[in-house]
Amino acid sequence: MLAYRQGDAGAFETLYVRHKGPLYRFVLRSVKVHALAEELYQEIWMRVIEARGRYSVQAKFTTWLYTIAHHRITDHWRKRGLQLVEADDADPPAPRAHEPEPRAEGRQDLQRLAAALAALPELQRETFLLHEESGMTLAEIAAATGATEEAAKSRLRYALAKLREAMGDG
Amino acid sequence: MAEMERDEKVSAGYRALGAEEPPRALDEAILAASHRSPSRWRVPLSIAALLVLAVGVMLRMLPQRPDAESVALAPQVMETPRPVASAPAPEQQKPAALATEGRMRKEVAAKPASRESIAADAARSTPAPAAAGAAAETGVGAGKLAAAPLTPEAWLERIAELRKQNRKREADESLAEFRKRYPDYRIPQALR
Repeated sequence: MLAYRQGDAGAFETLYVRHKGPLYRFVLRSVKVHALAEELYQEIWMRVIEARGRYSVQAKFTTWLYTIAHHRITDHWRKRGLQLVEADDADPPAPRAHEPEPRAEGRQDLQRLAAALAALPELQRETFLLHEESGMTLAEIAAATGATEEAAKSRLRYALAKLREAMGDG
Repeated sequence: MAEMERDEKVSAGYRALGAEEPPRALDEAILAASHRSPSRWRVPLSIAALLVLAVGVMLRMLPQRPDAESVALAPQVMETPRPVASAPAPEQQKPAALATEGRMRKEVAAKPASRESIAADAARSTPAPAAAGAAAETGVGAGKLAAAPLTPEAWLERIAELRKQNRKREADESLAEFRKRYPDYRIPQALR
Protein backbone atom coordinates (compact mmCIF):
# COMPACT_ATOMS: atom_id res chain seq x y z
CA MET A 1 0.00 0.00 0.00
CA LEU A 2 2.90 2.34 0.73
CA ALA A 3 4.25 1.63 -2.75
CA TYR A 4 0.85 2.42 -4.18
CA ARG A 5 0.72 5.62 -2.17
CA GLN A 6 4.02 6.57 -3.77
CA GLY A 7 2.44 6.19 -7.17
CA ASP A 8 3.13 2.54 -8.00
CA ALA A 9 -0.16 1.47 -9.57
CA GLY A 10 1.17 -2.06 -9.98
CA ALA A 11 1.35 -2.36 -6.21
CA PHE A 12 -2.37 -1.77 -5.99
CA GLU A 13 -3.03 -4.49 -8.53
CA THR A 14 -0.99 -6.93 -6.46
CA LEU A 15 -3.01 -6.08 -3.37
CA TYR A 16 -6.24 -6.26 -5.27
CA VAL A 17 -5.56 -9.70 -6.71
CA ARG A 18 -4.56 -10.98 -3.28
CA HIS A 19 -7.64 -9.72 -1.48
CA LYS A 20 -10.40 -9.52 -4.04
CA GLY A 21 -11.83 -13.04 -3.60
CA PRO A 22 -11.93 -13.12 0.21
CA LEU A 23 -13.25 -9.56 0.44
CA TYR A 24 -15.91 -10.20 -2.17
CA ARG A 25 -17.12 -13.34 -0.41
CA PHE A 26 -17.08 -11.54 2.91
CA VAL A 27 -19.31 -8.81 1.51
CA LEU A 28 -21.52 -11.15 -0.50
CA ARG A 29 -22.20 -13.47 2.43
CA SER A 30 -22.74 -10.53 4.72
CA VAL A 31 -25.46 -8.89 2.61
CA LYS A 32 -26.51 -12.00 0.65
CA VAL A 33 -27.56 -10.14 -2.49
CA HIS A 34 -25.21 -10.15 -5.47
CA ALA A 35 -26.07 -6.71 -6.86
CA LEU A 36 -25.80 -5.08 -3.46
CA ALA A 37 -22.58 -6.96 -2.69
CA GLU A 38 -21.02 -5.74 -5.92
CA GLU A 39 -21.98 -2.17 -5.13
CA LEU A 40 -20.59 -2.28 -1.62
CA TYR A 41 -17.48 -4.16 -2.74
CA GLN A 42 -16.72 -1.47 -5.30
CA GLU A 43 -17.31 1.29 -2.79
CA ILE A 44 -14.90 -0.33 -0.35
CA TRP A 45 -12.14 -0.43 -2.93
CA MET A 46 -12.91 3.13 -3.96
CA ARG A 47 -12.43 4.20 -0.38
CA VAL A 48 -9.11 2.39 -0.32
CA ILE A 49 -8.07 4.22 -3.46
CA GLU A 50 -9.24 7.57 -2.16
CA ALA A 51 -7.62 7.08 1.22
CA ARG A 52 -4.26 5.91 0.03
CA GLY A 53 -2.71 9.31 0.72
CA ARG A 54 -3.68 8.97 4.37
CA TYR A 55 -2.55 5.38 4.73
CA SER A 56 0.08 4.83 7.36
CA VAL A 57 1.51 1.62 8.64
CA GLN A 58 -0.37 1.39 11.91
CA ALA A 59 -1.86 -1.98 11.12
CA LYS A 60 -1.65 -4.66 8.51
CA PHE A 61 -3.19 -3.72 5.22
CA THR A 62 -5.63 -6.59 5.67
CA THR A 63 -6.87 -5.15 8.96
CA TRP A 64 -7.21 -1.71 7.41
CA LEU A 65 -9.07 -3.09 4.41
CA TYR A 66 -11.55 -5.04 6.50
CA THR A 67 -12.01 -2.11 8.84
CA ILE A 68 -13.18 -0.10 5.85
CA ALA A 69 -15.39 -3.00 4.78
CA HIS A 70 -16.84 -3.32 8.28
CA HIS A 71 -17.71 0.38 8.38
CA ARG A 72 -19.28 0.29 4.94
CA ILE A 73 -21.42 -2.73 5.71
CA THR A 74 -22.40 -1.31 9.10
CA ASP A 75 -23.48 1.89 7.35
CA HIS A 76 -25.55 -0.23 5.03
CA TRP A 77 -27.34 -1.97 7.88
CA ARG A 78 -27.93 1.30 9.65
CA LYS A 79 -29.44 2.86 6.55
CA ARG A 80 -31.81 -0.05 6.43
CA GLY A 81 -32.73 0.59 10.02
CA LEU A 82 -30.98 -2.43 11.44
CA GLN A 83 -29.04 -2.11 14.63
CA LEU A 84 -26.23 -4.54 15.20
CA VAL A 85 -26.46 -6.02 18.65
CA GLU A 86 -25.10 -9.03 20.40
CA ALA A 87 -27.72 -11.69 19.89
CA ASP A 88 -26.74 -14.35 22.38
CA ASP A 89 -26.45 -13.94 26.09
CA ALA A 90 -26.53 -17.59 26.92
CA ASP A 91 -23.77 -20.07 26.39
CA PRO A 92 -23.45 -21.47 22.92
CA PRO A 93 -25.15 -24.79 22.30
CA ALA A 94 -23.32 -27.66 23.92
CA PRO A 95 -21.98 -30.42 21.73
CA ARG A 96 -24.37 -33.29 21.34
CA ALA A 97 -21.78 -35.84 20.45
CA HIS A 98 -23.57 -38.67 22.20
CA GLU A 99 -26.92 -38.14 20.58
CA PRO A 100 -27.33 -40.27 17.55
CA GLU A 101 -29.06 -38.38 14.79
CA PRO A 102 -29.59 -38.91 11.17
CA ARG A 103 -26.78 -37.42 9.11
CA ALA A 104 -27.50 -36.10 5.73
CA GLU A 105 -24.41 -36.09 3.63
CA GLY A 106 -23.05 -33.89 0.93
CA ARG A 107 -25.37 -31.43 -0.64
CA GLN A 108 -27.91 -31.35 2.16
CA ASP A 109 -25.20 -30.63 4.70
CA LEU A 110 -24.03 -27.69 2.66
CA GLN A 111 -27.54 -26.37 2.22
CA ARG A 112 -28.07 -26.49 5.96
CA LEU A 113 -24.73 -24.82 6.52
CA ALA A 114 -25.57 -22.05 4.05
CA ALA A 115 -28.96 -21.54 5.67
CA ALA A 116 -27.43 -21.46 9.15
CA LEU A 117 -24.78 -19.00 8.02
CA ALA A 118 -27.40 -16.74 6.52
CA ALA A 119 -29.45 -16.99 9.71
CA LEU A 120 -26.60 -16.01 12.03
CA PRO A 121 -26.88 -12.63 13.73
CA GLU A 122 -24.89 -10.08 11.74
CA LEU A 123 -22.09 -9.66 14.24
CA GLN A 124 -21.55 -13.40 14.58
CA ARG A 125 -21.69 -13.92 10.84
CA GLU A 126 -19.26 -11.05 10.29
CA THR A 127 -16.80 -12.50 12.78
CA PHE A 128 -17.06 -15.97 11.30
CA LEU A 129 -16.61 -14.68 7.76
CA LEU A 130 -13.61 -12.60 8.76
CA HIS A 131 -12.16 -15.63 10.51
CA GLU A 132 -12.62 -17.79 7.44
CA GLU A 133 -11.89 -15.35 4.65
CA SER A 134 -9.43 -12.75 5.83
CA GLY A 135 -6.98 -14.94 7.68
CA MET A 136 -6.87 -12.37 10.46
CA THR A 137 -6.23 -13.30 14.06
CA LEU A 138 -8.91 -12.70 16.67
CA ALA A 139 -7.05 -9.60 17.81
CA GLU A 140 -7.07 -8.26 14.26
CA ILE A 141 -10.73 -9.12 13.81
CA ALA A 142 -11.48 -7.29 17.03
CA ALA A 143 -9.54 -4.27 15.80
CA ALA A 144 -11.27 -4.27 12.43
CA THR A 145 -14.73 -4.51 13.92
CA GLY A 146 -14.17 -2.18 16.85
CA ALA A 147 -14.81 -4.93 19.37
CA THR A 148 -12.83 -6.34 22.22
CA GLU A 149 -10.98 -9.55 21.66
CA GLU A 150 -13.24 -11.20 24.16
CA ALA A 151 -16.31 -10.12 22.26
CA ALA A 152 -14.84 -11.28 18.98
CA LYS A 153 -13.99 -14.64 20.48
CA SER A 154 -17.47 -15.00 21.92
CA ARG A 155 -19.11 -14.16 18.60
CA LEU A 156 -16.96 -16.68 16.80
CA ARG A 157 -17.69 -19.34 19.38
CA TYR A 158 -21.44 -18.86 19.03
CA ALA A 159 -21.22 -18.83 15.25
CA LEU A 160 -19.16 -22.01 15.08
CA ALA A 161 -21.47 -23.79 17.48
CA LYS A 162 -24.53 -22.95 15.40
CA LEU A 163 -22.89 -23.90 12.13
CA ARG A 164 -21.57 -27.10 13.60
CA GLU A 165 -25.03 -27.93 14.81
CA ALA A 166 -26.52 -27.17 11.42
CA MET A 167 -24.11 -29.62 9.85
CA GLY A 168 -25.34 -32.28 12.21
CA ASP A 169 -22.15 -32.29 14.14
CA GLY A 170 -23.25 -30.29 17.13
CA MET B 1 -5.52 -14.34 24.17
CA ALA B 2 -5.10 -17.76 22.69
CA GLU B 3 -6.41 -18.16 19.18
CA MET B 4 -9.43 -20.35 18.74
CA GLU B 5 -8.74 -23.45 16.81
CA ARG B 6 -10.34 -23.60 13.45
CA ASP B 7 -13.22 -26.00 13.20
CA GLU B 8 -12.01 -28.04 10.27
CA LYS B 9 -15.35 -29.53 9.40
CA VAL B 10 -17.16 -26.19 9.43
CA SER B 11 -14.30 -24.61 7.51
CA ALA B 12 -14.35 -27.39 4.93
CA GLY B 13 -18.11 -27.04 4.62
CA TYR B 14 -17.80 -23.33 4.27
CA ARG B 15 -15.19 -23.70 1.53
CA ALA B 16 -17.45 -26.10 -0.25
CA LEU B 17 -20.13 -23.43 -0.45
CA GLY B 18 -18.15 -21.89 -3.24
CA ALA B 19 -15.38 -19.49 -3.99
CA GLU B 20 -17.20 -16.65 -5.63
CA GLU B 21 -15.12 -13.96 -7.23
CA PRO B 22 -16.15 -10.46 -8.26
CA PRO B 23 -17.23 -10.11 -11.88
CA ARG B 24 -14.44 -9.30 -14.28
CA ALA B 25 -16.07 -6.00 -15.20
CA LEU B 26 -15.94 -4.96 -11.57
CA ASP B 27 -12.24 -5.88 -11.37
CA GLU B 28 -11.55 -3.79 -14.42
CA ALA B 29 -13.52 -0.81 -13.15
CA ILE B 30 -11.70 -0.82 -9.82
CA LEU B 31 -8.28 -1.25 -11.36
CA ALA B 32 -9.01 1.51 -13.84
CA ALA B 33 -10.05 3.75 -10.95
CA SER B 34 -6.81 2.96 -9.15
CA HIS B 35 -4.89 4.25 -12.17
CA ARG B 36 -7.06 7.32 -12.45
CA SER B 37 -6.80 8.17 -8.81
CA PRO B 38 -5.16 11.44 -7.91
CA SER B 39 -1.43 11.58 -7.80
CA ARG B 40 0.07 12.81 -4.60
CA TRP B 41 0.57 16.19 -6.20
CA ARG B 42 -2.93 16.53 -7.48
CA VAL B 43 -4.46 17.61 -4.18
CA PRO B 44 -1.80 20.24 -3.42
CA LEU B 45 -2.04 21.41 -7.02
CA SER B 46 -5.77 21.70 -6.83
CA ILE B 47 -5.45 23.74 -3.63
CA ALA B 48 -2.90 25.99 -5.32
CA ALA B 49 -5.17 26.39 -8.32
CA LEU B 50 -8.02 27.33 -6.03
CA LEU B 51 -5.88 29.95 -4.30
CA VAL B 52 -4.81 31.44 -7.62
CA LEU B 53 -8.42 31.59 -8.71
CA ALA B 54 -9.49 33.24 -5.46
CA VAL B 55 -6.75 35.86 -5.70
CA GLY B 56 -7.65 36.49 -9.32
CA VAL B 57 -11.29 37.03 -8.45
CA MET B 58 -10.32 39.39 -5.63
CA LEU B 59 -8.07 41.39 -7.90
CA ARG B 60 -10.83 41.67 -10.45
CA MET B 61 -13.30 42.82 -7.87
CA LEU B 62 -11.13 45.56 -6.36
CA PRO B 63 -11.12 47.97 -9.31
CA GLN B 64 -14.85 47.53 -9.70
CA ARG B 65 -15.65 49.35 -6.50
CA PRO B 66 -14.89 52.85 -7.83
CA ASP B 67 -16.95 51.97 -10.87
CA ALA B 68 -19.93 51.20 -8.71
CA GLU B 69 -19.53 54.50 -6.92
CA SER B 70 -19.19 56.34 -10.13
CA VAL B 71 -22.49 54.87 -11.26
CA ALA B 72 -24.10 56.18 -8.12
CA LEU B 73 -22.55 59.56 -8.60
CA ALA B 74 -22.94 59.83 -12.30
CA PRO B 75 -26.32 61.55 -12.25
CA GLN B 76 -25.00 64.13 -9.88
CA VAL B 77 -22.03 64.85 -12.05
CA MET B 78 -24.25 64.99 -15.09
CA GLU B 79 -26.65 67.30 -13.34
CA THR B 80 -24.00 69.89 -12.85
CA PRO B 81 -24.82 72.42 -15.55
CA ARG B 82 -22.40 74.91 -14.19
CA PRO B 83 -19.85 76.39 -16.52
CA VAL B 84 -16.37 75.25 -15.99
CA ALA B 85 -14.53 77.67 -13.86
CA SER B 86 -12.26 79.75 -15.96
CA ALA B 87 -9.53 79.68 -13.41
CA PRO B 88 -9.76 76.57 -11.32
CA ALA B 89 -8.27 76.68 -7.93
CA PRO B 90 -4.98 74.91 -7.40
CA GLU B 91 -6.81 72.10 -5.63
CA GLN B 92 -9.03 71.72 -8.65
CA GLN B 93 -6.04 71.11 -10.84
CA LYS B 94 -4.87 68.26 -8.73
CA PRO B 95 -7.47 65.67 -9.69
CA ALA B 96 -5.31 64.50 -12.54
CA ALA B 97 -2.97 63.05 -9.99
CA LEU B 98 -5.81 61.46 -8.10
CA ALA B 99 -7.62 60.17 -11.11
CA THR B 100 -6.01 56.77 -10.95
CA GLU B 101 -8.19 55.85 -8.03
CA GLY B 102 -11.22 55.39 -10.23
CA ARG B 103 -13.17 56.42 -13.20
CA MET B 104 -15.38 58.62 -11.05
CA ARG B 105 -12.48 60.79 -10.15
CA LYS B 106 -11.56 61.06 -13.77
CA GLU B 107 -15.00 62.32 -14.61
CA VAL B 108 -14.87 64.95 -11.93
CA ALA B 109 -11.37 65.94 -12.84
CA ALA B 110 -12.41 66.38 -16.41
CA LYS B 111 -15.14 68.80 -15.35
CA PRO B 112 -13.84 70.82 -12.47
CA ALA B 113 -16.62 72.96 -11.12
CA SER B 114 -16.76 75.80 -8.71
CA ARG B 115 -17.03 75.01 -5.02
CA GLU B 116 -20.41 76.57 -4.72
CA SER B 117 -21.98 74.88 -7.67
CA ILE B 118 -20.97 71.40 -6.66
CA ALA B 119 -21.70 71.95 -3.02
CA ALA B 120 -25.09 73.32 -3.92
CA ASP B 121 -25.87 70.39 -6.15
CA ALA B 122 -24.80 67.96 -3.55
CA ALA B 123 -26.72 69.70 -0.83
CA ARG B 124 -29.76 69.74 -3.08
CA SER B 125 -29.76 66.12 -3.93
CA THR B 126 -27.69 64.34 -1.27
CA PRO B 127 -28.52 61.06 -2.95
CA ALA B 128 -26.25 58.92 -0.84
CA PRO B 129 -23.60 59.27 1.76
CA ALA B 130 -20.98 58.82 -0.89
CA ALA B 131 -22.45 61.60 -2.92
CA ALA B 132 -23.00 63.73 0.12
CA GLY B 133 -19.42 63.13 1.01
CA ALA B 134 -18.46 64.32 -2.38
CA ALA B 135 -20.40 67.49 -1.85
CA ALA B 136 -18.81 68.17 1.48
CA GLU B 137 -15.39 67.38 0.23
CA THR B 138 -15.73 69.96 -2.45
CA GLY B 139 -15.34 72.47 0.27
CA VAL B 140 -11.71 71.57 0.05
CA GLY B 141 -11.41 70.92 -3.61
CA ALA B 142 -13.07 69.23 -6.51
CA GLY B 143 -10.27 66.73 -6.64
CA LYS B 144 -11.59 65.14 -3.50
CA LEU B 145 -15.14 65.01 -4.71
CA ALA B 146 -15.06 61.29 -5.07
CA ALA B 147 -13.28 60.63 -1.82
CA ALA B 148 -14.56 58.36 0.92
CA PRO B 149 -18.24 58.47 1.91
CA LEU B 150 -19.25 61.36 4.10
CA THR B 151 -19.46 60.54 7.76
CA PRO B 152 -22.57 61.62 9.67
CA GLU B 153 -20.49 64.15 11.58
CA ALA B 154 -19.09 65.66 8.39
CA TRP B 155 -22.56 65.73 6.89
CA LEU B 156 -23.88 67.65 9.89
CA GLU B 157 -20.97 70.03 9.67
CA ARG B 158 -21.88 70.63 6.07
CA ILE B 159 -25.46 71.35 7.03
CA ALA B 160 -24.24 73.79 9.67
CA GLU B 161 -22.14 75.48 7.07
CA LEU B 162 -25.16 75.84 4.78
CA ARG B 163 -27.06 77.42 7.64
CA LYS B 164 -24.24 79.84 8.21
CA GLN B 165 -24.42 80.79 4.56
CA ASN B 166 -28.13 81.39 5.08
CA ARG B 167 -29.02 78.65 2.58
CA LYS B 168 -31.86 77.54 4.73
CA ARG B 169 -33.82 75.54 2.21
CA GLU B 170 -30.79 73.49 1.16
CA ALA B 171 -29.84 72.97 4.76
CA ASP B 172 -33.34 71.79 5.63
CA GLU B 173 -33.47 69.41 2.70
CA SER B 174 -30.09 68.02 3.52
CA LEU B 175 -31.08 67.61 7.16
CA ALA B 176 -34.26 65.81 6.12
CA GLU B 177 -32.22 63.48 3.99
CA PHE B 178 -29.81 62.98 6.86
CA ARG B 179 -32.68 61.99 9.16
CA LYS B 180 -33.91 59.47 6.64
CA ARG B 181 -30.49 57.94 6.36
CA TYR B 182 -29.55 58.05 10.02
CA PRO B 183 -32.87 57.94 11.86
CA ASP B 184 -31.22 57.01 15.15
CA TYR B 185 -28.49 59.59 15.03
CA ARG B 186 -28.76 62.27 17.67
CA ILE B 187 -28.75 65.59 15.88
CA PRO B 188 -27.27 68.56 17.77
CA GLN B 189 -29.84 71.00 19.06
CA ALA B 190 -28.35 73.82 17.03
CA LEU B 191 -29.19 72.06 13.78
CA ARG B 192 -32.74 71.03 14.59
